[in-house]
Amino acid sequence: MLSVYLPVFLLLAVAALVAILMFTLTSVLGPKKPTPEKLLPYESGSNTTGASHLRLSVKFYLTAILFVVFDIEAVFLYPWGSMFRELGWFGFVEMLGFLTILAVTLVYAWKKGALEWET
Amino acid sequence: MEVGLGEYLALATILFGTGAIGFLIRQNMLIQLMCIELMLNSVNVALVATNRFYPDNHAGQIFSFFVIAVAAAEAAVGLAIVIAFYRLKKTVETDEADLLRH
Amino acid sequence: MSSWIHVAPLVLLVGGGLFIMLADVFAKERPELATVTSVALGVSGCVSLAALVSGVAPQTPAFLTSYLAVDKMALFFDVVICTGAALSTLLAGGYLREHGYERGEFYVLTLFSAFGAMVLARSVDLLSLFVGLETMSLGVYALVAFRRASARAVEGAMKYFLLGSFAAAILLFGSALLYAATGHTDYAGIAEGIAAGADPRLVLAGMLLVVVGLTFKVSAVPFHMWTPDAYEGAMTPATTFMSVAVKAAAFAVFLRVLVVAFGDPMSMSEASGWPPALAALAALSMVYGNFAAVSQQNIKRMLAYSSIAHAGYVLVGVVAVFRVGDEAISAVLFYLLAYTVSNALALGSLILMGSKGREAVSYDDLRGVGRRHPMAALPFVIGVLSLMGFPPTAGFFGKYYVFNAAVHSGGGMVWLALLGVLSSAVGAYYYLRVIVVMFMKEPEKGQVLAVPMRSGYVVTALSIAGLAVMELGLMPGWFLDLAVQAAQQLVA
Repeated sequence: MLSVYLPVFLLLAVAALVAILMFTLTSVLGPKKPTPEKLLPYESGSNTTGASHLRLSVKFYLTAILFVVFDIEAVFLYPWGSMFRELGWFGFVEMLGFLTILAVTLVYAWKKGALEWET
Repeated sequence: MEVGLGEYLALATILFGTGAIGFLIRQNMLIQLMCIELMLNSVNVALVATNRFYPDNHAGQIFSFFVIAVAAAEAAVGLAIVIAFYRLKKTVETDEADLLRH
Repeated sequence: MSSWIHVAPLVLLVGGGLFIMLADVFAKERPELATVTSVALGVSGCVSLAALVSGVAPQTPAFLTSYLAVDKMALFFDVVICTGAALSTLLAGGYLREHGYERGEFYVLTLFSAFGAMVLARSVDLLSLFVGLETMSLGVYALVAFRRASARAVEGAMKYFLLGSFAAAILLFGSALLYAATGHTDYAGIAEGIAAGADPRLVLAGMLLVVVGLTFKVSAVPFHMWTPDAYEGAMTPATTFMSVAVKAAAFAVFLRVLVVAFGDPMSMSEASGWPPALAALAALSMVYGNFAAVSQQNIKRMLAYSSIAHAGYVLVGVVAVFRVGDEAISAVLFYLLAYTVSNALALGSLILMGSKGREAVSYDDLRGVGRRHPMAALPFVIGVLSLMGFPPTAGFFGKYYVFNAAVHSGGGMVWLALLGVLSSAVGAYYYLRVIVVMFMKEPEKGQVLAVPMRSGYVVTALSIAGLAVMELGLMPGWFLDLAVQAAQQLVA
C-alpha cells in the first residue's frame, strides 16, 4: 500500500544513519583535550552574560499577534486573485468590502496605539 | 496500492487525539493553546484530504482556509487572556485558577 | 429589494460595529455609544420582525443560498438575539458608567458577537456554522475578560475560552468526518448523503462530535463546567448577553442541524439515534441544574445553574422534535424568546439594585432590599417569577408549551415532561427563597447595604423587558403564531 513512498522512507533511513554515524565516529575517534575556555558557550568571542533563557518583552506579543491576524486574512486574497476574471465585478465589490473592514480595524488598532513601540 | 481516504482520516484522528489528550492532561495554558491548534490543524488534514476524493467542488479546501483564519483569531484572543491571567497570577498554570468556587 | 431586506439586519450590525470603532477613536467628545448600539440592534430586530410579520416570501440572494438560510426561523431568531443584545447593551450603558468601565470596546464586541449569533442561527452549512460560532464566541470570551484587572473575570474568561475552543475543535472534527462520509458540508447535502448510504460509522461519529460540541455551547450537563465560572466572572451586562443571545443562537443551530441534517429515520430512531442521548442530557441538566442552584450563595451563580436547568427544559423540546416536529420547534422558539426577556429582566434588576461599592451579588446583600427599595425590587420579582414559570408570565407559557410537546410525543417523553415539572418545583424553592430574603429578612448589623443605582438606560431596559414578560404571559398567542409559522417552514 505504501510502496509509492518506499524511496522516501529509504532516504529518511539513510539520512538518519549517516548523521548518527558521523556523530558517533567523531566522538569515538576524535582527540579530546577540554579546557575551561573550550567548554564555554561561544558568543562572538566575548564572555557570556546572563541566563540563556532570555525573557522577551511582552510588547512583542501585540506586534506578533497583529501581524499574524492581518497576515492570515491575506489568505483569502489568493483564491480571489486566481479567479479574478471569472468572479468579475461581484467578486471585486465583495473583496472591497472585506478589505474595507480590515482597513477600519487597522485604523482602529493604529489610533488605539497598538502599533506604538515606545509606550 | 494507493493511500485511501481511510488512511488520511486515521492520520487526522491520531493528530486530533494527540491534541485532545494533551489538552486534557496538561495544565500549562500555552501548551493547551497549542493542543487546540493541533486539533484544528488535524481537521484541516481531514478536510483537504477528503476534498481529493470529492473533486466536484472545493468545499473542503475553502473550509480549511476559514479554519486557518479562525484559528489565528482564536490564538489572538486566547493569548490576550493568557497574558491578562499572567499579569494577575504570575503563572500560566490552570491549577492556579481557583478563585471561582461555590 | 425583498431579498435584501432579509440580510439588512446583518449588514446593519457590521456597519454599526465599524462605525462605533471609528467613533471611539476619532470622536472628540465621548459619544453615547450605548444609545447608538442599542438603536442599531433595535432597528435590526424590528426590520426582521417586520419581515416576519409581513410574510414577504423570502427570496434568498443567490450568493448566500448555500451558506445562510433566509427563512422565518432565521427572522425569528434575529428578533430574539437582537432583543437580548439590545437589552444587555442598555444595561451596559448604565453599568459601565456606574462602575467605571466605560470603554467603547464593549459595544463593538457585543455588536460583532450578536452578528455572529445571527449568522449561527441562519447557518445551513457546517462552514457558516463554524464561522458564526467562532465570531460569536470570540467576542464573548473578550466580553467576559473585559474587567482585565479583576482576577475573577480573567479566570472565568480563561476557563470559558479553553473549554469553548476545545468544544469548537470537537465540533469541527465532527464536521470534517461528516464531510468525509457524505461529500457535503451543507445540512441538506449531508442528509442526502446519509440517505444514499454513507458509511454509518463515520456518520455516527461525526454526528456525536457535532452534537457534543453544540451541547457545550448550550451549557447542558455534563458539558456545563464553564457556565457558573464564566457567568460569575463576567460583568452582569455581559452575563446577560451570554445567557440569552448565545444560548438562543446555539439552540437555533441545534434545531437546524438535527432537523435538516439528521432528520433521517435512522438518526432519529429511538434505539440508536440522537433522541435517547439528548433526552438523557435534558434529564441530567434539569435535575443537576436545579439542585446545584439551591446551595449557591452568589445570585449570579444561582442564575447560572438555573440557566443550566433551563437548557435542560429547552432540550426536552428539542428532543420532542423527533415525534411532533413543528409543535416542538415552535415551543422551543417561544421558550427561548420568553427566557431571553425573563433572564434579562432578572439580571438587569440585579444591576439596578446595586451601585459602585455597594453591589447586590449575594443573598446577604439582598436582605431587606425589597422593603427599603420596592421599586428597584419589583422587576426582579417579576423576572424571577417568570424564570420559575409562574402564571401569567412569559416563563409559564414557555414551560407549558415545551412540556405539552413532550407529552404529545408520548412514550418515554411523558416521563421526561414529568421530571421537568418535578425539577421545576425544586427551582421554585430557590427562586422563592430570593424573594423571601428580599422582603422578609432584615440586614445584619454593620452590613454594607446595597444601594440602587440611578440610570435611565437600566430603567429603559427593565421597562422593555418587563413589558415583554407580561405581554408574552398575558397574550402569548401572537408570538406563538409567529413561532409556529417559522417551525412549519423549517419542517416542510
